Amino acid sequence: MTEVRYVEATRTYPGTDTPAVDSLSLDIADGELLVLVGPSGSGKSTALRMLAGLEPLDAGAVFIGDRDVTDVRPRDRDIAMVFQNYALYPQLSVAENMGFALKQHGVPKEERTARVRETARILDLEPFLDRKPRQLSGGQRQRVAMGRAIVRQPSVYLMDEPLSNLDAKLRVQTRTEVVELQARLGVSTVYVTHDQVEAMTMGHRVAVLRAGVLQQCDAPSTLYHEPVNLFVAGFIGSPAMNLVDVGDARPPRIGESELALDAALPNDAGKLTVGFRPESLRVGDGPLPARIRTVEDLGSEMFVHVAVEHHGDTVPLIAKVSPPFEGTAGDQVGLQIAGTTHLFGEDGSRIASPAATLHSPGAVSRS
Amino acid sequence: MSTTVRPRVSRMIPPKMGRRPLLSDSWRRRLPLLPALLFLILLTQVPFGLSVYYSLTDWTVVPPGPREFVGLENYRELLRDDFFGEAIVTSIQLTVFPVIAALVLGTAFALLLDRKFFGRGVVRTMLITPFLLVPVVIGLIWKNQMFHGLYGVINWVIEKLGGTPVEFVSEHPTLSIIITLIWQWTPFMMLIMLAGLQSQPADVLEAAKVDGAAPFAIFRQLTLSHLRPYMELGILLGAIYLIQVYDQIAVITGGGPGSTNVPYYVFQRSIGGGWQFGEASAYSIVVVIASIVIATFALRVLSRLLKGEAAA
Amino acid sequence: MSGDDATPAVGERRWVNAALGGLAWITALIFFFPVLWMVLNSFKSEQDANTSPKLTFDPTLDRYREVTESAGGLLSFGEAFTNSVVIVLVSTLIVLALAIPAAYALAIKPIVKWRDVLFFVISTKFLPVVASILPLWILARDLDLLNTRVVLIILYTAINLPLAVWMLRSFFVEIPRELIEAAEIDGARLRGQLTSVILPLAAPGIAATALLCVIFAWNEFFYAVQLNPVEGSTVPVWVTTNVSTRGEFLAKLSAASVLACIPVVLAGWIAQKRMIRGLAMGAIK
Repeated sequence: MTEVRYVEATRTYPGTDTPAVDSLSLDIADGELLVLVGPSGSGKSTALRMLAGLEPLDAGAVFIGDRDVTDVRPRDRDIAMVFQNYALYPQLSVAENMGFALKQHGVPKEERTARVRETARILDLEPFLDRKPRQLSGGQRQRVAMGRAIVRQPSVYLMDEPLSNLDAKLRVQTRTEVVELQARLGVSTVYVTHDQVEAMTMGHRVAVLRAGVLQQCDAPSTLYHEPVNLFVAGFIGSPAMNLVDVGDARPPRIGESELALDAALPNDAGKLTVGFRPESLRVGDGPLPARIRTVEDLGSEMFVHVAVEHHGDTVPLIAKVSPPFEGTAGDQVGLQIAGTTHLFGEDGSRIASPAATLHSPGAVSRS
Repeated sequence: MSTTVRPRVSRMIPPKMGRRPLLSDSWRRRLPLLPALLFLILLTQVPFGLSVYYSLTDWTVVPPGPREFVGLENYRELLRDDFFGEAIVTSIQLTVFPVIAALVLGTAFALLLDRKFFGRGVVRTMLITPFLLVPVVIGLIWKNQMFHGLYGVINWVIEKLGGTPVEFVSEHPTLSIIITLIWQWTPFMMLIMLAGLQSQPADVLEAAKVDGAAPFAIFRQLTLSHLRPYMELGILLGAIYLIQVYDQIAVITGGGPGSTNVPYYVFQRSIGGGWQFGEASAYSIVVVIASIVIATFALRVLSRLLKGEAAA
Repeated sequence: MSGDDATPAVGERRWVNAALGGLAWITALIFFFPVLWMVLNSFKSEQDANTSPKLTFDPTLDRYREVTESAGGLLSFGEAFTNSVVIVLVSTLIVLALAIPAAYALAIKPIVKWRDVLFFVISTKFLPVVASILPLWILARDLDLLNTRVVLIILYTAINLPLAVWMLRSFFVEIPRELIEAAEIDGARLRGQLTSVILPLAAPGIAATALLCVIFAWNEFFYAVQLNPVEGSTVPVWVTTNVSTRGEFLAKLSAASVLACIPVVLAGWIAQKRMIRGLAMGAIK
């Protein structure tokens, strides 16, 4: 039973004022694949390194299983780590790379060879056991890095953007393999990435970090449908959620069109931001006038980029449509919202998620 | 849900509570440094301390005299010593000129060597050789083979060109020594600058070429600024070694006006024949103080070098 | 940038490339001339060497025979050579043994005050050698170490250690931090990290550092002549014994010089590419 717990873990780099990781509290269940995601500077790598013992904690604690490992050296934490650049020992063969940790811990040779061979079999690395890293392709090196971690059978796997250096197609392929492998091995895994698509497709739960502070930690679908604040809403989902600043006008307006909500707003809501996902935006003859900027045709779906005049600025919005779609760049169209809208308050937190529709100017305020 | 596969064979880490390591982290980090540091402190600070002590005495070895404490008397003597002033001037000449000349020549050689041409390896081999030679050999060979009044090679060339032979060593002692120092240290500078040229990022140069920059402009704006830290290192290391030149002076002129730098002067006053250990120590201490002053100035260069690294 | 072929860059005129190549050759030949002439002189008779420069002569090995025969009582070439080899090799090994861990403590797992330590280490070279010779001479005499190899080994270690620490530190700093971290997580302590990661990756830099230490130690004259004037002395001191006050000696001196310089020159020639690569890799940052 190895869970991992961060308890108010904090790390401030010497010479800086704001913590890189600020009072992070997170529980990772046994066998769970938890993804730490966020933009650069969010503290996700620092949090991982704190778990690895490569960064000290300035406050708080880290637990692996029942043990408080806050002051324990990396080699005694029973963890294995996969690095973004793989960090393979250049002068050792693949087999020696994978067996290195076992050798350092005094595992006898026969057992070492057997375990290395078994892991190589799982990862299809058997033909490469005698090669040096420089003779391998990027994808093969990545697998060796994974193999080096797996062969140790640790309590926790740590992965620091392990797929970032692979080309796009290989990345998608390897993603699935990593997920399957983790499920099979059943070992708790903490996985860091900056790519929210990777996060959403791989994690049992995803923890979104921003500037060292945990924003939300939930299953992917919860993050998608119930974002806790503006940042999470805008970060998760591709293409990003449409976000429009509607100020404190009531009823809220986009351009000249008014938004009718199916729930009442609290009186002191203040300045609001309205968010709705591309799949909630309909392009046709709706009440909100817009101009088509570009149309992206991906075959099975299409994204229409439009521009709307709002509060004196040109605001870009994205709509997802199913083919066929007739419009082209420059066309004037009318937009309508169908589906859930999220309302975010001045501090960014989500206030409500009513269903909403757009109406022509005056229609809502009159009723 | 698929069954989890975890064949545990031998547990590598026995489960136990977190261990407190024996030494604190900062002491564990210092440990590998200690042998070298202690060795250096012992071998440099102890002689230094002793020198300070001797400088405050009137110790004479020949004829042997009692070693009595005289306070700052030696230092007052020093201020009245014209020869010491001359030695300082010579020291400056023997440091500044060779460093700058070697740097300029070395950079020129490095630029020549930075292109591909036939026999480049051989040319480079020839150019680095002077730095590998024993300095007393350099001094003796230049004195007897090149500078010689009658049979020297340089004078042979001068005669062939219609001039009159020059007595280099007796009439131009400073210049003679400077020439040998430049000859010796140019390869050193050349190696450093070659390393600098080779470490230039190729893509920046390529972008400049595509942008249409002329070769000389590229050199002035991109290459020179890239080479700056290398030049600074060359000047720093060159100066450190050149201030202490002794070998060439000893074998070419044996001291004498115009070629006695401060180290040689100190040598002359002490074990080189003066046997005034007390006075000589005072001179040495003055040199040390001057070096520290210069070094503090050089420290700004150093810490810019080091800071540039921390920022990188 | 490597290789000796003469292909010019795209669009560069051939004659420019050839002209610059020619200039390089001429410069090198002029610069190298004194060495070349010295080698030629070593094969001449004294008469030939001491007249106006001649290119044709009857080559002879007599000068080499002269300088290498034992000159009873005085320092012989064999003795000096052996002393030099032992002193240089042992002191260089000690330097590396001390400097590698020190560089580790300044580069890989740096102590907080690494900049101060580095400055102190380099500052020990600001102290002129002539300043320290008096107390060192007295200490050596009292410890009965005058005219021994040991005293020179110790002193050469001290003069090369600062340079070695400085250079090795800047090479170690280039090692990707991730490799060290991976080794740490895998359980390697200092020795394991050194042998598996640091030494293999920093090998060119270590070679460059060792070569510089060998050059400076082999060529050192002042300490050798002051502390070991007769016994236990080194090749540079031996060379100066081949200068006579009467008669002609240039050819003999040339032969002695050639013998004295060959080991380091050969080492430098062989290692020059590695040295440049080592310096480029990160001696300067």
